[in-house]
Amino acid sequence: MRRTFIIAGRVVRQLVRNPRLLVLSVAAPLVIVYFLKVFFDTLPPTFDVARYAVPVAAFVVHFLAFLLCAIALVQERTMGTMERMFINGFRRTEVIAGYVLGFLGLATFQAVAGLAEAIWLFELDYDGETLVMLFVVVWLLAIASVMLGIFISTFARHEGQVFPFVPLIILPSVFLSGLLVDVDELPTWADWLGHVFPLFWANDVIQDLIASGWTFDDVQRSLAVLAGYSVVLLLLASRTLREVE
Amino acid sequence: MNAIEVSGLAKKYGRFEALRGVDLSVGRGEVFGLVGPNGAGKTTLIKALVGALRPSGGGVRVMGLNPLQDRAELRRRIGYMPQGPALYDDLSARGNIAFFGAAHRTENLRKRVDEVLQFTDLSERADDPVHTFSGGMKRRVSLACALVHGPEVIFLDEPTAAVDPQLRSRFWKTFRELAGSGTTLFISTHLMDEAVLCDRIAILRQGGLIATDTPGSIIERGETHLVVERDGSEEKETIGGRPEDLAAALRPYGLQRDVTAVDVETDTLEAVVLSLIEREEVG
Repeated sequence: MRRTFIIAGRVVRQLVRNPRLLVLSVAAPLVIVYFLKVFFDTLPPTFDVARYAVPVAAFVVHFLAFLLCAIALVQERTMGTMERMFINGFRRTEVIAGYVLGFLGLATFQAVAGLAEAIWLFELDYDGETLVMLFVVVWLLAIASVMLGIFISTFARHEGQVFPFVPLIILPSVFLSGLLVDVDELPTWADWLGHVFPLFWANDVIQDLIASGWTFDDVQRSLAVLAGYSVVLLLLASRTLREVE
Repeated sequence: MNAIEVSGLAKKYGRFEALRGVDLSVGRGEVFGLVGPNGAGKTTLIKALVGALRPSGGGVRVMGLNPLQDRAELRRRIGYMPQGPALYDDLSARGNIAFFGAAHRTENLRKRVDEVLQFTDLSERADDPVHTFSGGMKRRVSLACALVHGPEVIFLDEPTAAVDPQLRSRFWKTFRELAGSGTTLFISTHLMDEAVLCDRIAILRQGGLIATDTPGSIIERGETHLVVERDGSEEKETIGGRPEDLAAALRPYGLQRDVTAVDVETDTLEAVVLSLIEREEVG
């Protein structure tokens, strides 16, 4: 546990001392959400902005949290620091947990900033309870994204090998997770395939929350699945990350 | 008990044999050099010794411990300096050393970090980010990371590759100080002027050892040449190493006026190692 916090502390120190990474990870979601606003402003006034605003903000957080975490871990491998950590006595579970803790702060910040901007820019009006739940779901999605990044990084030997996973995992989720069209309108197989992506469950909760009159019973199943994603990906990553060649 | 014992160590990657039945032992406090050309298997051997690689066959013991089964215990007692810098560029020298030192529950870590910073002559730049350092300084930070927890055996993979002669000399002074305090050093190198500074060396070629001895004994396996300059041209012949062999070789010349220079050359360690490798390839 002590060594987990040592790694987490080091990850946070690195993030803080890397202004380019910080700008990319925090400012980029804000800029993208603003572009979304510019785009939505061109659509007819009857267009249901609320249906898309928060899910798209959640997707941006999901994408960046995944990419940044995966690349940071792959860099550890290419720089030789991953091997050095293991030879110095750090265990793989400590490395994974340290990364999760280290990126948790960043994921939280991304979730708060992305969500706050979407609500402010699109002039969405939700009660306090809904806002808290929206934050919880985006935050859980960000954690699942960090876990996904850690898991995927174990299959990449250098940074370039992370990028093929973007069209394989991230982009299909845009079309199959209910982000753009309701999954009920998709063919059955595509609907089922959509269930594989964490974004599907996050969007499911978000749509329930922004519809008026939601109760916790409506969203608890999807929230649990989203949390379960993190646990399963954590377990998978702890099996695929190799300490010994 | 020896610091390192290796018997029949083999490592295969598919059909490629990176290590072919390596046997060697290294005593405590010894400075042991692993010599060989690029691709000979030096890094593979070191990785097997530090437990970063699972051998395909044979056995390894470091301080009597199995690098894979006794990993936790062994890693407290060994230090490892990889071939590349393997440092966090965004962190300071102190940040890097403290991070790797913290993995071992090093007592008085802050004091130890200051000590190794001083030992590697980095105190003045201790708080600067590593990305502002020269290649040589990064090597010193990397060495400090390997030393911070006071290991009993240190593995150094080509520690002075791409390092200027002045820094190389400083590194070797450090290695000798460490060996003087009882630390065992296992150093891989392809530089012969560095190998000659080791207590013993092993020559590795295509994953197999072809000789293990002191550098002096290996040099003795070389030849002595008589070089005679005559009428502006040079004649070279191989002679025995004894004084009477030299006299016998010179007798035919009778020191005629046209003999303008006489020199006796003995093979360097590099020449002996190369000839051993070539002999192995022909054989």
